[in-house]
Formats: sequence, structure tokens, C-alpha cells
Amino acid sequence: MRLGFNFTLGSTYDMVKRLIAEGHIDYCEYLVDNFFCVDPDELAKAFDCPIGLHVMYSRFLEADRPTLVDFAARLRDCIDATNAIYVSDHILRFTHEGRAFFHLGEVDYSGEYEFVRDKVLEWQEIVGHRIHFENYPSIMDGGLDAPAFFERLTKETGAGVLFDASNAVCANLNCGTPFEAWRNVIAAAHHFHVAGYRNSIVEPFIALDTHANSLSPETLAFLRDFRSVFDKPGATMTYERDQEIEFEDIVADLKLLRNLFGESQERRHDLVVSA
Amino acid sequence: MILSSLPSRIDRDLYPALMSPEMCAKYPADQKAFVRIDTSLRVYWHTLFDICPELLEISGPDGLSIFRPFMAWAEERKLAFDWFYYLWVYAWLRQSPFKEQLLADQKYLRSIMGASAARWAILDRGRARGIAIGCADTTDFVIGWKCRSVRFGRQVELIEPEEPLPPPPEVFGYFTLPSFELDIFPGWQGVTR
Repeated sequence: MRLGFNFTLGSTYDMVKRLIAEGHIDYCEYLVDNFFCVDPDELAKAFDCPIGLHVMYSRFLEADRPTLVDFAARLRDCIDATNAIYVSDHILRFTHEGRAFFHLGEVDYSGEYEFVRDKVLEWQEIVGHRIHFENYPSIMDGGLDAPAFFERLTKETGAGVLFDASNAVCANLNCGTPFEAWRNVIAAAHHFHVAGYRNSIVEPFIALDTHANSLSPETLAFLRDFRSVFDKPGATMTYERDQEIEFEDIVADLKLLRNLFGESQERRHDLVVSA
Repeated sequence: MILSSLPSRIDRDLYPALMSPEMCAKYPADQKAFVRIDTSLRVYWHTLFDICPELLEISGPDGLSIFRPFMAWAEERKLAFDWFYYLWVYAWLRQSPFKEQLLADQKYLRSIMGASAARWAILDRGRARGIAIGCADTTDFVIGWKCRSVRFGRQVELIEPEEPLPPPPEVFGYFTLPSFELDIFPGWQGVTR
């Protein structure tokens, strides 16, 4: 299992360089559409390691085709320049009746399946690249339908799943989605996320995917129990931290992940070649 | 009135309530659906007051005397809540009981315009590099720049021009910049819903 860190802000540039130099991570994941105005060659050369590309605001379920074509052209430039080891995106609702959510919405996995599948097919065709879609940190009971949705989606579209382990923990705590229900999805996935979460302010508490805390005991237990299902040749796991960014805390979590999965057998060069 | 029979199994059932304090109050407070909606509303609150803390000086520390009536006003008008979010807060304040305090000190306007420019730079995925936002209440304007290097973040600048631009025809106006230079003035575009 290769470990990576999500790079979303210029302010963490020096820290990510240090994580690479000290061997805590093997690759870096750009929140790529944050950097669409940066020369793709600069993106390729900024870090001495392989690069993954994570998309946040394609809004591919809601945007019109010309907008997606323009977005994809810039994404494609970044994919080509960085020789990205993977490209990932989100299945999310950004608006309702034209009004923006600031806490993004989960789709209706049963009622919207065909709509989402067709949009996924169209989005992959426009980008011209396989895309791995991230699972949502479900709160409501619709999250019980998520594992079957992703299993079917990948079979019918050729897309992958960027499986976020701590999002699955949130869903387990919030709506009881069993970890076992994800087994086939995890087994088929090669790219993973993991991060901290916290409880809501008011009760009854729900777990919220904040990327602001250390890994929870529940997340570490999940990874330990399913270790052999997660780990496989070519697998990557990105540690996400967007708030409360403390170098020592991040390194402590990365060391826990290294201890859990063992030293990566594939060197950085191999990761590039496997892309 | 609290209604226990509101549909609330899946997230989609709650979409209309996620930006409505009034609808939130109709859900039983001991249920997960209420917490989900409350969490969503808190993000709108923090997006406003964490970025423009000066507004708490005129609202009181919990901000609710601004937040609740503004959200109801915005819902009536079906405002999109894209990067214009802050500008609509200013528009509401301008016709609210807070108008006098608001107009007595330009720090509120500068904070609002800066927040809006920053939000554009964070969320917009078009090809423009920057945005200029002007207001009929000042000759100053604000520019937001997207990230131009992996080593830097987005930037917001306050411009105090020696020769003022013509004022926007409405309260706010904006224009986008195709390069990282302020070298054009194509005229103001109006804020849309």
C-alpha cells in the first residue's frame, strides 16, 4: 500500500515536500481543479513523486455538456502533464432547484441510479479517462443502499471506486451500513482515502467528515480487519487533512498506516510505471 | 408546529430543508434528520460569520438576528447562493433595521466584498483568472485572484483607484479578468439570482 497526502492549498506546499523527503508518503494527490490556472508542467514538477488527481467541483451530475467539455479539457492537460496514477471525482448534489448546498447532498442511490449511471458514462467519455468515484459519508438511511449502488455502477460503466474508508466509518456510525457490505467494492478498488471525522454539535450525534482530526480507533480497526482486502499491488491510500494541519499529528497518523500496511514494496518509480 | 411524519429516510427527502431554518424547526429535535439539517444550516452560518466576523458587532454574538431573516428572505427570492451569497447579505442588510449601522462604517462593505471575491476564486471553474467586484456605496473595488502557483493560495486585493470607475448601475457589479492583470474594464455585469 502506497501512502499519499492530499494537496489542496499552497500553504501546505513546504509541509508536503517535507513529508516526501522524509519518506512518510510515496505520492501526492492534487485537488486538481483548485489548480486549473496553474501551468500543468508546474503541477508535474512541483513534487518529486507520482501524482494522483482528485476532482472536487466538476459538478458532472448538474453541469451542461459545454461546461463539462471545457472542464475536461483542462483536466486532460493535467492528466497528461502529470501522468496521473488515477483520476477521481465525487457523486454529489451541489444544488437543489438551482440553490447551492454548502454542505453537499447525497444522491438517491435507488431512485437516481439510471440517471447517475448515464452521467458517469458521459463524463468518462468526455474526459477520455477512467474515473474513480468516491463514496459519501452517509448520514441518512439512504446510505444503506450505497454499497450495492457502487458495485452495480462499476460493473455497468467501467468506472472505479475511490473508496474512502473513514466515510464508510461515518456511514456505519450514522446509518448502520455494515462494513461487510463494502467487501466487494473494497476488493475491486485500488485507490483509497482516509481521514479524521468528528461528531455534530447537537445530539443525537452524527459523524461528520471534517478532515480536521486524527484517525479514529474505529477507522483503524476497520482498516486492520479488512487489511488484506484493501492491500493489493498498485493500491494507494491518501491521507486527507484540510484543517488543523499539524505536521507531527499528520506524521503520527501516517506512521500508524505504515505500521498497519507495512512498508510499500513498490518504489516511486514503479508507481509511475504502473500508471 | 413540529411534524413527526415528514419524509426523512434519505438525504434527498431533506434537500428543501437544508437551507431553511423555518423548515428545520418542523423536524423533531431528537431525530437524525434534524441534526442533518442543523449541520447544513451551521455551514451557511459559519460561511458568513467566520469570514465576516464584523457582522456579529451589529447582530449580536449569535448572529441570528441577521441569519434567520436573511435566510427566509433569500428563500422567498430563490437566491442561488453561489459566490453572490455575501452580496445578497449586504443587499438584505441595506433594507433591514441594521441599515444605519451598516452604512456608518465601510469596514462591513469591504469585508463583504472581499469574502465574495474569495468565494468566487475558490468555487469558480471557468477560465477567468480574476474577478473585480464594485459597489455603488464606494469608489473602491475588490479583486479576487485564483491560485496561480502551487506555492501560493488565492489572493484578494482592495483597490483604491485614483480615477474611480463609473459606479455599477445596481448596488453591486462585477467583471472577470482573463489574465492575472487588471488591464481591462469591460463594464459592470449585474448580480443575478
